[in-house]
Amino acid sequence: MAMAALRREGRRFAPLLSPRPIAAAAPRSSPSFLSPEEDVPFGARSISTQVVRNRMKSVKNIQKITKAMKMVAASKLRAIQIRAENSRGLWQPFIALLGDTPSIDVKKNVIVTVSSDKGLCGGINSTSVRLSKGLLKLNSGPDKEPKYVVVGEKAKVQLIRDSRKHIHLTISELTKIPLNYTQVSVLADDIIKNVEFDALKIVFNKFHSVVSFIPTVSTVLSPEVVEREVESGSGKLGELDSYEIEGGSTRGETLQNLAEFQFSCVMFNAVLENACSEMGARMSAMDSSSRNAGEVLDRLTLTYNRTRQAAITTELTEIISGASALEG
Amino acid sequence: MVDVVIVPATRGQLGVLPGHVATIAELKPGIMSVHDGNGVTKYFVSSGFAFVHANSFADIIAVEAVPLDRIDASLVQKGLAEFTQKVNSASTDLEKAEAQIGVDVQSALNSP
Repeated sequence: MAMAALRREGRRFAPLLSPRPIAAAAPRSSPSFLSPEEDVPFGARSISTQVVRNRMKSVKNIQKITKAMKMVAASKLRAIQIRAENSRGLWQPFIALLGDTPSIDVKKNVIVTVSSDKGLCGGINSTSVRLSKGLLKLNSGPDKEPKYVVVGEKAKVQLIRDSRKHIHLTISELTKIPLNYTQVSVLADDIIKNVEFDALKIVFNKFHSVVSFIPTVSTVLSPEVVEREVESGSGKLGELDSYEIEGGSTRGETLQNLAEFQFSCVMFNAVLENACSEMGARMSAMDSSSRNAGEVLDRLTLTYNRTRQAAITTELTEIISGASALEG
Repeated sequence: MVDVVIVPATRGQLGVLPGHVATIAELKPGIMSVHDGNGVTKYFVSSGFAFVHANSFADIIAVEAVPLDRIDASLVQKGLAEFTQKVNSASTDLEKAEAQIGVDVQSALNSP
């Protein structure tokens, strides 16, 4: 609801954002017998300041809303930042074992774009969308079938415009309840069951600090591709051959379990990092819009006071000159 | 730096000492014990993987890991009884499998 109000107010003060806001606002508050919105009685000489007062009130309200949103984001950020930083321990062992292979060349690339459900959080969603589009372009070719899996409402809206045919699955309203591993592993299971893949590329914004986040790709390979790479013995994956594999009935089964577990862990970290970046970005976006509202308010106050003073001065001049006319 | 780690692999306990051969092991619910110079710390791990690297490093990834002294023994007994009863009363294979997992977890907690 707050957002709708904000959007409405935004439209209303749009003319104020023109280069010369005072000049633009001033003529409106001058008396005009033609304008119906100012019900100045016929013959009245005072200048109505009603319009400016109304606008000041609405700008003040906007500022209150953005300040409140900033506070909410700040308190959510603190809680989620600890969890995001702790969850980094989940993928680090996998990198140590399997290495990171973002440039691997496979047929079925699935790009998992992680974004937020709500807006008003700066550019985090457009950066991850841009990165995903770039990845899709890099990985498309005559015999390749790249696909999108979109997590979150905002990336869906942006991607559906021009790449509808590539979108395979969309998931939203993930962050309605606090993120937990069980929920994310169910989501990961859903993706694995419904989408055929050779490599999953997860695009998210890694939290760096409150004001900065890094668009990141993490790659999860399917067990078959891992097997193929191990045989070709290239890079870090070639070393996997020297590991003894315990558990499961076959080597393939263990590798399958490993890949699925890796995906759920990486996904868990990705959604947490993204939620954390979202809060950080929202905090700074709301901070700058509160500041902006403050500036608008200052300019309006100046206009208001000037007009009021001009009216008083005019009245005084009239009274004095009237009195001096009587005397003389 | 620790001396020995014993992890609950799917095919029985796996003791890892420095210089252990490089291994990837799947974990089952059970007790992981970490032995260092001062004594033994025991944790309950729900599931996950253990990677033992050739350079005497080991990574253990678990979905949940809880120090054993934070677990209430009486609740474990109660849970064990509850799930044992469920195994006997289960009508479908799915229910039976779910109850069996419950029994496995609770008895793993009960064992030390």
